[in-house]
Amino acid sequence: MGETRSDILQGTLDLMVLQTLDAMGPLHGYGIARRIEQISEDVLQLNQGTIYASLLRLQQRRWISASWGTSDNNRKAKFYAITKTGRKQLAAQAQNWERISAVMMRMLRLAQR
Amino acid sequence: MPTWLAVLASRIGGLVRAGRHDRDFDREVESHLNLLTEDYIRRGLSATEARREAILRFGGPVQIKEQQHERRSLPLVETTLQDIRYGGRALRKSPAYSLVAIATLAIGIGAGTAVFSVAGAVLLRPLPYRAPDELVRIFETNPLRRWTRNIAAPANYADWRTRNKSFTGIGAYEQFNTNGSGAGDLFLTGFGEPQALKGLGVSGNLFAVLGANPLLGRTFTEEEQWEGRSRVAVLSFGLWQSAFGGDPSIVGRTITLSGRGYDVVGVMPRTFFFPGRDVQLWIPFGYTHELVTTARRPHWLGVVARRRPGISFEQARDDMTAIARDLEKQYPDTNTQMGVHLEPLHESYASGPRTALLMLSGAVGLLFLIVCANIANLQLSRGVSRTRELAIRRALGAGRSRILRQLLTESIVLSVAGGSIGFVLAALARIVVTRYASSAIPLFAVVQTDRTVLFFALGLSLIAPLVFGIVPALRTSRSEQVSDRSETASRETGRLRDVLVATEVALSIVLAVGAVLLMRSLTYLQDVDPGFTKEHAISFTMTLPSARYADPAARYRAFAEIERRLGELPGVQSVGATSTLALRGFTWTGDTTIEGRSSTDYERDTRHMSTTPGYFGAMGIRLLAGRTFEAGDTRDKPPVTVINESLARRYFRGLSDAAIVGKRLAFGRPQDNSPWVTIVGVVADEKQDGLDRPAEPTEYSSVAQRMQNPLTFVVRTTVAPEAAFAGARAQVAGVDKDLALTQTATLEDVVDGSMSDARFRTTLLAAFAGIALFLAALGIYGVLAYFVSQRGREMGIRLALGARPAALFRLVVGQGLRPVAAGAAIGLAGAVAVTTLMQSLLFGVTPVDPAAYAVATAALAAIAFAACTMPALRATRVDPLVALRED
Repeated sequence: MGETRSDILQGTLDLMVLQTLDAMGPLHGYGIARRIEQISEDVLQLNQGTIYASLLRLQQRRWISASWGTSDNNRKAKFYAITKTGRKQLAAQAQNWERISAVMMRMLRLAQR
Repeated sequence: MPTWLAVLASRIGGLVRAGRHDRDFDREVESHLNLLTEDYIRRGLSATEARREAILRFGGPVQIKEQQHERRSLPLVETTLQDIRYGGRALRKSPAYSLVAIATLAIGIGAGTAVFSVAGAVLLRPLPYRAPDELVRIFETNPLRRWTRNIAAPANYADWRTRNKSFTGIGAYEQFNTNGSGAGDLFLTGFGEPQALKGLGVSGNLFAVLGANPLLGRTFTEEEQWEGRSRVAVLSFGLWQSAFGGDPSIVGRTITLSGRGYDVVGVMPRTFFFPGRDVQLWIPFGYTHELVTTARRPHWLGVVARRRPGISFEQARDDMTAIARDLEKQYPDTNTQMGVHLEPLHESYASGPRTALLMLSGAVGLLFLIVCANIANLQLSRGVSRTRELAIRRALGAGRSRILRQLLTESIVLSVAGGSIGFVLAALARIVVTRYASSAIPLFAVVQTDRTVLFFALGLSLIAPLVFGIVPALRTSRSEQVSDRSETASRETGRLRDVLVATEVALSIVLAVGAVLLMRSLTYLQDVDPGFTKEHAISFTMTLPSARYADPAARYRAFAEIERRLGELPGVQSVGATSTLALRGFTWTGDTTIEGRSSTDYERDTRHMSTTPGYFGAMGIRLLAGRTFEAGDTRDKPPVTVINESLARRYFRGLSDAAIVGKRLAFGRPQDNSPWVTIVGVVADEKQDGLDRPAEPTEYSSVAQRMQNPLTFVVRTTVAPEAAFAGARAQVAGVDKDLALTQTATLEDVVDGSMSDARFRTTLLAAFAGIALFLAALGIYGVLAYFVSQRGREMGIRLALGARPAALFRLVVGQGLRPVAAGAAIGLAGAVAVTTLMQSLLFGVTPVDPAAYAVATAALAAIAFAACTMPALRATRVDPLVALRED
């Protein structure tokens, strides 16, 4: 796997995590992984552990914060929440993503003709 | 906070709290797996199956934990920290090696740092003036008078100021002596005890030229340099603190200096000095316009100028040379062959100590290399004993580069430990030097242990491991197998170590030769006859304030009274006074006409001194012919002079001393019509500018006939110096309680002080050479001890086969001396090349002085032989049985 492609994938996952936390409020790692799988209608089957690389990266950038709490079924779990800078980043990156995907779509459509 | 900074901060945090984060993440993974497992159980799997599915779904918890760990911190830093911990442990395990290595490094780095803190302060630190690179000193030159860097005549200075196109300003200050900054004694009264201050007369624009702003108040205006406006003073920070308690209201007040009132207009900041740190206050010189425009023959001004932006040093020099040529045409009488010499100000400050400091820097560099060679040597022998440990590490999967990195990290740990101690040693050395050898450091230099010095020590600590650590590390990391103790490997190491020992020997013999040369120079210097008897005599300087002692007659009366009273002290054998004490101070020089010679034959510089009749006796200066002064040589009698031997030999070539007595001189040129002065006596030379410099032609006049102020008294006494000074102080106070004694010193101190530079550099170089030889001996010993331990078995067999111990002893010593001989040969050749650079520091010996080379070689041979003896003796005592049982 080339460096660039992995970077794009990483970035994509980061964006998904941010979006999930923004939409759902604080969630634990398992919850985030489940949510992404559900939204993608199980198209995206990831090793759930890889979500933690993304979570660490986002934490180091201070775009999300983490703290221990209790889950619905009364289990100790670490909950992640999006921060203010995180929200700003999400907005910026979502916009960017839309622009790129629109361009991609157009490119692909043109190529089909 | 920028994102990258947040990430870095987080990662550094991760470095510190790695353990806690690992445990935290373990719990998180566990909780994630539990949730997943429950999910699968809910879907109907058994507990065990659910757990297995959960782990599959999660995807390798162990790898993920490992990855997270690395992403959380800085892996490179982490392994380095590991290496450092490991290195520390390894060093603790062999304390003898570590102690020797750290101590050696501490000496090497400490000596280097100490020398740097002095040399850097003198040669590198910028002067505390604005844009100091633009400042130049301007000297006058005259081949007729053998002037190469002479002070300037006021009228020439005035013309330079109006005619130049190269400078934004040219400032000047009174420079009345050659070795100090030229400051004179001023007596501050009205603030406690009267105290003698070093005050310097300067031009009104000097501070502006220097670009120096005051801490309080202002500096001088251009107009204040003229007579009538000049009763103002600027204080140094030090004086402001010590005499006025740092009171800011001093600005605007009037203080009394030598009986005259001066308005304090400003205080300079702490860092400012000019031209040396001994100057405590500045006053405008207060000349008349007439003096400045006509005084072209006497020279007494130090001149500092600031180049205009865009004007190069060379352009400025050419401009000034052209002006000097014009002045030469305009004033042939005074300016014939009078040229100029420009020097960057800093260069001119540092020119004196430059050679000595460069020599010490070079020496300490050699010492540093020896230290590195020594440690490389130690590491090689240690590497052999660590082969097994390293081979195991390799077997466990450490690559060669990883082991190399670890060995180098160990070297750095060692070096930083040694460097820290070295830095402390250097700081202590600085304190000792500034306290006890301050005269060896030029007055302008601020020697301090600051950040620059710290960085230097750190730099040395980091360079050292590269010098001493790389080769042993490469060598050691190469060993392939656990059992790698092959003959070739150890022979190769042996050769490497021989090369290192030879290097050490070569470098240390260079240092030793240099040290012996300096020591011999110092001995010669100490043996020089100063021309007077230095034992049992004290000296001190008296300045009579001109406000109170206005006319020469009043001064003469006061000085005569002081001299009379000093003679009444118990134990005093003789008393005299002179305008300039030997080995110290400034003397006027001027043309001299000899009766009966051609009218153009006058350009011979003669030093003028004034003394009391008792002076020659008090100093113990030998009378060669005629007489010295008598009480009868008074103002109303025909003027008389006593000349020194140098004048007699140079200007009366071929005449005996007795024949010279009775001849007449005139001070000045024939057309000046100065009165004829009769030579009544010839005395032996007393040393003037240094024990290593011949005395210049000098003429003495009687104080009664030619008054001078200040005078330096010499009292020959059987009483101990402290008591003698106390007695003298009391007698002086009896004449005038406001007078103070300055520059108090025994004549032995005066002679000693003149040698302090030479002694300082000799002591340091000798110490470096001693350390170098000791380290070389250590290196020789180490190699031989290793040799004996490696071949103990062979020795045992030889002994068992009937070899005589003496033969074995010779074998081992021979083995040890081989690299020594090679190193010594190279070193002696190198010394010839290097010591010629220190020519100007030598006295009485040439750089290729055979005795110095012999002494250095003998010292090295003795030390090398001693270092060989112990391992050699051990070799002869090997028990054959024990040796055979080894392995």
